[in-house]
Amino acid sequence: MTTRNEQILPLEGTETLAASDILAVENLSISFGGLKALDDLSFAIRDREIFGLIGPNGAGKTTVFNCITQFYKPDQGTVLFGVESERLHRHRAHKVSVGSTDEPQDTEVVNLVGRKVHSIIKLGLVRTFQNVEVIPELSLIDNVLLGGHVDFRATILEQMFRLPRARREEKQYRAQALEVLEFLKIDHLKDELASGQPYGVLKKLEMARTLMANPRLIILDEPAAGLNDSETEDLAQTIREIRDRYHCAILLVEHDMRLVMGVCERICAISFGRFLALGTPEEIQENPDVQEAYLGEQESDQEGAQK
Amino acid sequence: MSKNSRITMLNLGSIMKNSHVHYIIFGLVLCLFPMMTSAGGMKNSTLSTLAFVLIFSIVALGLNLLLGYSGLISLGTAGFMGLGSYIAAYVQDDLGLGFWVAVLLAIAIPTLIGLLVGIISLRVSGIYLAIATLCIAEILAKTFEQAEWFTHGTAGKQSKYPTIFGMPMDRSSMFVVCAIVLVLVMMLTYNIVNGQLGRALHAMRSSEVAAQAMGVNVLKYKLFAFSVATLYAGLAGGLYLFFLRSSYPSTWNLFLSLNLIAMVVVGGLRSILGTVAGAFVIFAFPELVLKKLPVIGDASGLPYVFSGVMIILVIMFFPQGLKGLADLGVTTIKTVFSRKKVTS
Ligand SMILES: Nc1ncnc2c1ncn2[C@@H]1O[C@H](COP(=O)(O)OP(=O)(O)OP(=O)(O)O)[C@@H](O)[C@H]1O
Ligand SMILES: [Mg+2]
Repeated sequence: MTTRNEQILPLEGTETLAASDILAVENLSISFGGLKALDDLSFAIRDREIFGLIGPNGAGKTTVFNCITQFYKPDQGTVLFGVESERLHRHRAHKVSVGSTDEPQDTEVVNLVGRKVHSIIKLGLVRTFQNVEVIPELSLIDNVLLGGHVDFRATILEQMFRLPRARREEKQYRAQALEVLEFLKIDHLKDELASGQPYGVLKKLEMARTLMANPRLIILDEPAAGLNDSETEDLAQTIREIRDRYHCAILLVEHDMRLVMGVCERICAISFGRFLALGTPEEIQENPDVQEAYLGEQESDQEGAQK
Repeated sequence: MSKNSRITMLNLGSIMKNSHVHYIIFGLVLCLFPMMTSAGGMKNSTLSTLAFVLIFSIVALGLNLLLGYSGLISLGTAGFMGLGSYIAAYVQDDLGLGFWVAVLLAIAIPTLIGLLVGIISLRVSGIYLAIATLCIAEILAKTFEQAEWFTHGTAGKQSKYPTIFGMPMDRSSMFVVCAIVLVLVMMLTYNIVNGQLGRALHAMRSSEVAAQAMGVNVLKYKLFAFSVATLYAGLAGGLYLFFLRSSYPSTWNLFLSLNLIAMVVVGGLRSILGTVAGAFVIFAFPELVLKKLPVIGDASGLPYVFSGVMIILVIMFFPQGLKGLADLGVTTIKTVFSRKKVTS
């Protein structure tokens, strides 16, 4: 890895994040039973970067995502994330009063480990799932509105009685959700139920839902799985457009190497839960460790096919 | 057509599409029944049966919120409804605090207990939640039998029609009260399920991981659904007492809870009007039709057999219940008409 001469900001507690980084995974380990799914894994993602995480089947990619978003509690390690102070205070002011009287900084670094799963999106980090998780009984636009859940300020009672704030928010976010659907070119389906929609639409719908949260980092788990060639090309374009329009970083896991190499600025390769290499697409392609890991997979695939 | 009248037509069109308006019209139609009865067009016993349909619809709507929207099960609904009925009687007759305090407490106390039960039991789900709620209902049922000072035990608690706004109630006016409350509950339920609250409940049922990733605090929304369901049950229990003017421990058993589930399933999960229709089929059909049949009409367990058969039929042939059946009817009519247009 290249050593970067960067200014390190002193931030909340002892946690630090290089100034250009938005997420840093440090010494992450988790095991299931005897299996070490992640073993002392570290990497960092820069702000507004399109970053790929690759590895053979079962390498632990989805497990990394689950450890970042706190669906799994890692046995060891930290996940540092840079949050705009403004966003942090907005959500804090809503719930608990801010204890410190420190000058608000532009970005604060928080450790995600140990936080509640449902609190992660409030920090501006939102994900999709390897097996699309949309709500079939809701229309497309209602699915997207779910992504704005934490932005609704109207209390339960205000919503039950449709008081002015609840009505205003519903209208405001519905318009925003429509914009997102338009951006992803599925707005003509907005009132259709999600159930029965083709896979390509569902994948887009899941992305639309993440955009509703005004994210700083989007995590996509195999966004191209199940898509045909033209849809995959379309997806590469969409990923770039999302980054440019929403000014967010994108972390993606993908097996489609053409997509990964074409769209990612940097890539981290892992195998059996361990770090292999990190670099530009060219560097990764030429890396002997990576080649070996994938070669091993191909051989075992062939063996499997012969049996 | 002048511009003005076209605008009023448009407004009228959008008003007629508004579900709240549908519910109000439904309520107004209901209010015709007491008039029919006093004019001799309907038997008093029939009016009573319909009143119970309205009351059970209220509970079933809460259960639909739980079962249909949130994917949670409760076998304790009857217990909370019974609690509401006894509190209403105790506050109105023993404490003499009048209708409003009685209704308020019949709502508040079951809701609070439901909230406590929820905090403890909603960490488990599926079969465990069913067992936990069943236990609560059994505890309540035992209490209804034993706490003589409160419930008058197995002899049953007797009460009288309330006085509302200085007006002494009777059978007909209590029916109207039930209709008004049902319409309000339908409107409230509509608001819940058609906004961000409803979306959160949907997400929680359909994909808990997606719900959590989108920031839905699953435990909070489970508690919310559970509290609303107990609130409706307490309210309906109070109305039950004020309409029937008595309450017996044997009423609030597991069979009633199961029958309430049957109303939701038969009416259609996640349908408001369907739930009311389900309550009618499950409660009124055996009372008004089956019991009048020769030979089998006298069999004692007939309503239970009927509920069981209906549930099986619906699950096997119409998973969407009466709501699905109605939708099917509407689409068939529409296609028939559009085909006619094409051919003509
Ligand atoms: N909840 C769990 N319980 C037990 N084992 C798990 C769990 N989650 C993941 N694993 C194991 O951890 C390893 C890594 O799995 P993971 O799903 O992260 O792989 P992946 O890189 O996403 O693979 P794929 O490309 O097939 O999606 C696998 O061996 C898997 O069986
Ligand atoms: Mg995976």
